[in-house]
Amino acid sequence: MDFTQFNDAERKHLQRMMEQKQMSDFFKMYNTIVDRCFNDCINDFTSKAISSKEASESCVSKCMDKFMKHAERVNQRYAEVGAEMMGGPK
Amino acid sequence: MSFFMNSSANQTVNMQNMAMAEQELDMFTDLFNRIVSSCHEKCIPKTYIEGDLNKGEAVCIDRCVAKFLEVNKSVGAKLQQISGAGPNA
Repeated sequence: MDFTQFNDAERKHLQRMMEQKQMSDFFKMYNTIVDRCFNDCINDFTSKAISSKEASESCVSKCMDKFMKHAERVNQRYAEVGAEMMGGPK
Repeated sequence: MSFFMNSSANQTVNMQNMAMAEQELDMFTDLFNRIVSSCHEKCIPKTYIEGDLNKGEAVCIDRCVAKFLEVNKSVGAKLQQISGAGPNA
Protein backbone atom coordinates (compact mmCIF):
# COMPACT_ATOMS: atom_id res chain seq x y z
CA MET A 1 0.00 0.00 0.00
CA ASP A 2 1.17 3.51 -0.75
CA PHE A 3 1.67 5.40 2.51
CA THR A 4 3.09 8.59 1.04
CA GLN A 5 -0.37 10.05 0.61
CA PHE A 6 -0.91 10.09 4.40
CA ASN A 7 0.35 12.56 6.99
CA ASP A 8 2.31 11.53 10.11
CA ALA A 9 -0.74 11.28 12.34
CA GLU A 10 -2.50 9.09 9.83
CA ARG A 11 0.55 6.89 9.38
CA LYS A 12 0.71 6.44 13.14
CA HIS A 13 -2.95 5.53 13.17
CA LEU A 14 -2.42 2.93 10.44
CA GLN A 15 0.63 1.56 12.20
CA ARG A 16 -1.40 0.94 15.35
CA MET A 17 -4.16 -0.65 13.36
CA MET A 18 -1.73 -2.99 11.62
CA GLU A 19 -0.17 -4.03 14.91
CA GLN A 20 -3.59 -4.99 16.22
CA LYS A 21 -4.31 -6.94 13.08
CA GLN A 22 -1.02 -8.80 13.31
CA MET A 23 -2.23 -10.41 16.50
CA SER A 24 -5.48 -11.64 15.01
CA ASP A 25 -3.67 -12.74 11.84
CA PHE A 26 -1.36 -14.83 13.97
CA PHE A 27 -4.24 -16.55 15.74
CA LYS A 28 -5.96 -17.09 12.43
CA MET A 29 -2.89 -18.85 11.07
CA TYR A 30 -2.52 -20.84 14.28
CA ASN A 31 -6.05 -22.14 13.89
CA THR A 32 -5.58 -22.84 10.19
CA ILE A 33 -2.54 -25.00 10.90
CA VAL A 34 -4.28 -26.88 13.68
CA ASP A 35 -7.28 -27.47 11.43
CA ARG A 36 -5.23 -28.58 8.48
CA CYS A 37 -2.82 -30.83 10.33
CA PHE A 38 -5.47 -32.35 12.56
CA ASN A 39 -7.64 -33.22 9.59
CA ASP A 40 -4.75 -34.54 7.51
CA CYS A 41 -2.99 -36.50 10.25
CA ILE A 42 -5.38 -37.63 12.94
CA ASN A 43 -7.78 -40.27 11.74
CA ASP A 44 -7.50 -42.98 14.33
CA PHE A 45 -9.64 -42.75 17.45
CA THR A 46 -8.92 -46.12 19.00
CA SER A 47 -6.88 -44.41 21.69
CA LYS A 48 -7.05 -41.08 23.48
CA ALA A 49 -3.42 -40.09 23.22
CA ILE A 50 -1.85 -39.01 19.99
CA SER A 51 0.41 -41.84 18.91
CA SER A 52 4.02 -41.25 18.01
CA LYS A 53 3.20 -42.12 14.44
CA GLU A 54 0.68 -39.31 14.33
CA ALA A 55 2.68 -36.81 16.33
CA SER A 56 6.15 -35.42 16.56
CA GLU A 57 8.04 -38.20 14.84
CA SER A 58 5.84 -38.06 11.88
CA CYS A 59 2.79 -36.47 10.46
CA VAL A 60 1.85 -33.48 12.61
CA SER A 61 5.32 -32.02 12.89
CA LYS A 62 6.02 -32.50 9.20
CA CYS A 63 2.66 -30.98 8.42
CA MET A 64 3.47 -27.90 10.52
CA ASP A 65 6.91 -27.52 8.96
CA LYS A 66 5.50 -27.88 5.53
CA PHE A 67 2.68 -25.45 6.12
CA MET A 68 5.08 -22.76 7.32
CA LYS A 69 7.32 -23.26 4.31
CA HIS A 70 4.31 -23.26 2.04
CA ALA A 71 2.98 -19.98 3.47
CA GLU A 72 6.45 -18.46 3.22
CA ARG A 73 6.74 -19.34 -0.44
CA VAL A 74 3.25 -18.03 -1.22
CA ASN A 75 4.21 -14.84 0.57
CA GLN A 76 7.34 -14.46 -1.59
CA ARG A 77 5.42 -14.86 -4.84
CA TYR A 78 2.62 -12.64 -3.57
CA ALA A 79 5.08 -9.91 -2.62
CA GLU A 80 6.76 -10.11 -6.02
CA VAL A 81 3.47 -9.57 -7.81
CA GLY A 82 2.63 -6.73 -5.42
CA ALA A 83 5.96 -5.03 -6.10
CA GLU A 84 5.45 -5.47 -9.82
CA MET A 85 2.03 -3.86 -9.62
CA MET A 86 3.35 -0.91 -7.61
CA GLY A 87 6.51 -0.22 -9.57
CA GLY A 88 5.84 -1.68 -12.99
CA PRO A 89 3.30 -0.10 -15.28
CA LYS A 90 2.56 3.00 -13.19
CA MET B 1 -15.13 17.24 9.67
CA SER B 2 -12.36 15.26 11.23
CA PHE B 3 -12.58 15.20 15.02
CA PHE B 4 -9.58 13.03 15.72
CA MET B 5 -6.56 15.21 16.50
CA ASN B 6 -3.11 13.86 17.12
CA SER B 7 -1.64 15.74 20.07
CA SER B 8 2.01 15.39 19.06
CA ALA B 9 1.85 16.24 15.40
CA ASN B 10 -1.35 18.29 15.54
CA GLN B 11 -2.42 16.83 12.24
CA THR B 12 -5.91 15.78 11.43
CA VAL B 13 -6.65 12.16 10.67
CA ASN B 14 -9.07 11.66 7.85
CA MET B 15 -11.22 8.84 9.16
CA GLN B 16 -12.74 8.13 5.81
CA ASN B 17 -9.32 7.55 4.26
CA MET B 18 -8.33 5.42 7.25
CA ALA B 19 -11.39 3.26 6.79
CA MET B 20 -10.60 2.86 3.12
CA ALA B 21 -6.98 1.95 3.86
CA GLU B 22 -8.16 -0.57 6.44
CA GLN B 23 -10.56 -2.11 3.97
CA GLU B 24 -7.81 -2.37 1.39
CA LEU B 25 -5.44 -3.95 3.89
CA ASP B 26 -8.09 -6.43 4.97
CA MET B 27 -8.74 -7.29 1.34
CA PHE B 28 -5.07 -8.06 0.65
CA THR B 29 -4.74 -10.08 3.85
CA ASP B 30 -7.85 -12.04 3.03
CA LEU B 31 -6.64 -12.65 -0.51
CA PHE B 32 -3.33 -13.91 0.82
CA ASN B 33 -5.04 -16.25 3.28
CA ARG B 34 -7.28 -17.62 0.58
CA ILE B 35 -4.30 -18.25 -1.70
CA VAL B 36 -2.45 -20.06 1.08
CA SER B 37 -5.47 -22.22 1.74
CA SER B 38 -6.35 -23.00 -1.88
CA CYS B 39 -2.81 -23.70 -2.98
CA HIS B 40 -2.12 -25.83 0.06
CA GLU B 41 -5.18 -27.85 -0.80
CA LYS B 42 -4.08 -28.27 -4.42
CA CYS B 43 -0.31 -28.62 -4.10
CA ILE B 44 0.47 -30.35 -0.81
CA PRO B 45 -0.42 -34.04 -0.60
CA LYS B 46 -2.01 -35.19 2.64
CA THR B 47 0.65 -37.80 3.20
CA TYR B 48 3.46 -36.03 4.98
CA ILE B 49 6.62 -37.88 4.06
CA GLU B 50 8.91 -34.96 4.70
CA GLY B 51 8.80 -31.54 6.36
CA ASP B 52 10.38 -29.73 3.43
CA LEU B 53 8.74 -28.69 0.21
CA ASN B 54 9.97 -30.85 -2.62
CA LYS B 55 10.66 -29.55 -6.10
CA GLY B 56 7.27 -30.47 -7.48
CA GLU B 57 5.39 -28.86 -4.61
CA ALA B 58 7.46 -25.69 -4.85
CA VAL B 59 6.82 -25.35 -8.57
CA CYS B 60 3.15 -26.10 -8.00
CA ILE B 61 2.91 -23.33 -5.40
CA ASP B 62 4.59 -20.79 -7.69
CA ARG B 63 2.21 -21.57 -10.51
CA CYS B 64 -0.78 -21.78 -8.19
CA VAL B 65 -0.17 -18.27 -6.81
CA ALA B 66 0.26 -16.85 -10.31
CA LYS B 67 -2.90 -18.51 -11.53
CA PHE B 68 -4.94 -17.53 -8.52
CA LEU B 69 -3.96 -13.90 -9.01
CA GLU B 70 -4.73 -14.13 -12.70
CA VAL B 71 -8.21 -15.45 -12.00
CA ASN B 72 -8.59 -12.74 -9.38
CA LYS B 73 -7.65 -10.14 -11.96
CA SER B 74 -9.95 -11.42 -14.68
CA VAL B 75 -12.90 -11.61 -12.29
CA GLY B 76 -12.14 -8.03 -11.25
CA ALA B 77 -12.00 -6.89 -14.86
CA LYS B 78 -15.26 -8.64 -15.67
CA LEU B 79 -17.05 -7.16 -12.67
CA GLN B 80 -15.73 -3.72 -13.48
CA GLN B 81 -16.95 -4.12 -17.03
CA ILE B 82 -20.42 -5.12 -15.83
CA SER B 83 -20.71 -2.41 -13.21
CA GLY B 84 -19.22 0.14 -15.59
CA ALA B 85 -21.65 -0.76 -18.35
CA GLY B 86 -24.64 -0.22 -16.08
CA PRO B 87 -24.66 3.47 -15.14
CA ASN B 88 -22.67 4.74 -18.13
CA ALA B 89 -24.37 3.12 -21.09
